[in-house]
Amino acid sequence: MLKRISKKGIFLTASFVLLLVTVLTGCSPGGSKKDGEWAGQTVNVQLIGDFSMEDSTNPITGEKIQGLDVLKDEFEKQHPGATVKFIIMPWDGYTEKTQAMITSGEADVYQLPGIADFAAQGVIEPLQPYVDKDSEFSTDIFIDQQVDSWKALGPDSKELEMYGLPFLGDARFITYDKKLFDDWGVEYLSEHPTMEEIKEKSAKMTGKNPVTGEQNYGVWFRGDWSSAFTLLNAAEGIGGRWGEGFAWEDVKFEFNSPEMVEALNWMLDIQQYAPEGIVSNQGNEKWMTKDNNIAIMLNSGPGNLVQQTHTQGLEDRIAIAQEFKNEDGIGGMFAGSPIAIGKSSENKELAWEWLKFATSDFAQKYFYETGVLPSVKSALEWEEVKQYEDLLGPVFEAMSTPYTPRYHWAAGQPRFILTSEIEAALTGKRDVQEALDKAQKESTEWLESR
Amino acid sequence: MAKDHLKVIAQPDKQVPVGSHKQRKRKVQVTWYLFLIPSFLGILLFLVYPIFESFRLSFYQSNGTIEKFIGLQNFQTVLTSQPFWNSVWNTFYIGIFQIAIAIPLGFIFASLINTTPKGKNFFKVIYFLPNVTSIVAAAMIFAFVLHPEMGIVNYALEAVGLPTSQWLSDPSSSKWAVILLAVWHWIGFIIIICLANLQAISPEMYEAAKIDGASSFQQWLFITIPNMGGTFAFLLITGWIGALQRFNEVYVLGGPSGSPARSIQTMGAFIYERGFTGFEFGIASAATYIMFIIILVFTLINLKVSKMKL
Repeated sequence: MLKRISKKGIFLTASFVLLLVTVLTGCSPGGSKKDGEWAGQTVNVQLIGDFSMEDSTNPITGEKIQGLDVLKDEFEKQHPGATVKFIIMPWDGYTEKTQAMITSGEADVYQLPGIADFAAQGVIEPLQPYVDKDSEFSTDIFIDQQVDSWKALGPDSKELEMYGLPFLGDARFITYDKKLFDDWGVEYLSEHPTMEEIKEKSAKMTGKNPVTGEQNYGVWFRGDWSSAFTLLNAAEGIGGRWGEGFAWEDVKFEFNSPEMVEALNWMLDIQQYAPEGIVSNQGNEKWMTKDNNIAIMLNSGPGNLVQQTHTQGLEDRIAIAQEFKNEDGIGGMFAGSPIAIGKSSENKELAWEWLKFATSDFAQKYFYETGVLPSVKSALEWEEVKQYEDLLGPVFEAMSTPYTPRYHWAAGQPRFILTSEIEAALTGKRDVQEALDKAQKESTEWLESR
Repeated sequence: MAKDHLKVIAQPDKQVPVGSHKQRKRKVQVTWYLFLIPSFLGILLFLVYPIFESFRLSFYQSNGTIEKFIGLQNFQTVLTSQPFWNSVWNTFYIGIFQIAIAIPLGFIFASLINTTPKGKNFFKVIYFLPNVTSIVAAAMIFAFVLHPEMGIVNYALEAVGLPTSQWLSDPSSSKWAVILLAVWHWIGFIIIICLANLQAISPEMYEAAKIDGASSFQQWLFITIPNMGGTFAFLLITGWIGALQRFNEVYVLGGPSGSPARSIQTMGAFIYERGFTGFEFGIASAATYIMFIIILVFTLINLKVSKMKL
């Protein structure tokens, strides 16, 4: 009897739980059916950065930032029946996380700063066919150089192809503090300064500030992580280059060319005008604050530039000059993020629609509000950008004149080899020629062993 | 009435056939195994599978999606790679000094705490606090503590008239920055383990020694230290294994390539750099197995030296 009761009890409990689960699942938003042209289709979008689904507060400005729900609602409104799902990841370790995601086909659309590696693996879609058949879309909307610079080689292609659309913009430039220039009575940097100009002005502004009495430093640059890009840009300014080729079998490095040697010697020279600790990313703690003690910042990026300048009340102090350019007017690292469609996506047409939406003014304005640069030309006409034209004008110019072909090898060993040898030279462990010869030898050996 | 009730309850037992005891035992065992399945699956999926997969990958040129069998070439590449042997040197250098400084110092502190009449628990907590701090957070704080211009360590050195150091900005001092952090983080654990052993030494031995006229130092030297053998062996072996696997703090302080100039790149960081920043999973896997062999050999030597039984 007891057994029978307990069996009955278990059966009833199980039935109740099953009913509850069914009801709850039926009531959940994911379960509701949508009508429309894109009914039943979902696009999973991977994004890298400090994005949030809900509204949040900008830690620098204290202003409210709208959540990604704004984009989701607008896209779903424009594409009846479609559903957008976001997968957000931080920048820390994004390469390996993206590799894992793309291998398992977790998303339809990916933000891919390392697009060359993924195109070579054949795991993303070539986009030219989509562009060709979409009469509403044109790549002319993007800032110059952006589309070409993101082109990559597929697993079997001989020519560079379009695998991603420019999504988030980025650039490298030289930033300086006009107040320190004024205090020292030094003329501001020219729009396109030379290495000599940087060295000369840095030297003049190192020491006790004649107005405040504080210790000032003429220049700062990262001596570790991004030192390879500072070196390459300096070499580009005097006609050098990283090398040539895109496919690994065609790549030839020129890490120990005379221009690279001269550029590294210049870095060693200006290091004496920088605070101690540049090879461990230290000494720049006061940069972009009212107590700033650094006159010139090399290899700067646009991350939160506008927000921080205004929050700190530095509108009259911070100014931008271009990085070193070669005779063709190009130079400096090309950076940013393109977006691409995963080969394994089951909703490729909807994914293409997302790509177009993400590069539309609506979405680009949204991302600009979150603190990143847009990749479209029309941004120059936005009121939100125009009011900061002094700062953003040179940034957009830098975006349109980076060195191409870009440093696609920088995601791999050659970058670490070169960086380590720059560090060895900056810390006096090896002399310049020896360090660059070693970098050239090790990078070439690495290429041959691939 | 009560008797009848007992009869009713007892009746089902009478119906149990002979041999059911075995069946019930088996059923209990099956239940146990059922409960073990989730953790067993976890071990299988996240430990056993990666070990075998990594071994397989070590014979392939692999970027995660495209693979090519290349035999022992990855092992050859790693074993002839100067950065790899540099990382082995860094790992051992930091490990040797960490162990050589932390164990004796921890033991001395533990002995002092053990003889303190008051505030034992206070000192235990104070010294153990670093060990419960996340090494990643501690490393980030240490970068400020060792700042060449604004760091408290250089400030203190300057205050007492000693020469300052560039710490993490100089390849010759960066390893010592890591050693300092590692000792600070590990010493609390050593103190707690040593204290446990110290409190287990029989007081009669000290009383007998006192009667024989032994001084406090003689008691420490001839009674305490010989009785600490097992603890020292345990600390030596676990310390070595931890030191050879070092990754978190050097990654925070010097990135995957152990800046400056690969001076703090350990074997773990070398594996990370090749595997997760350059997609060279074959080379990273081969380096992992070489590291495993190095740890195995060293642990066996440690066991032999310390005469500790497995």
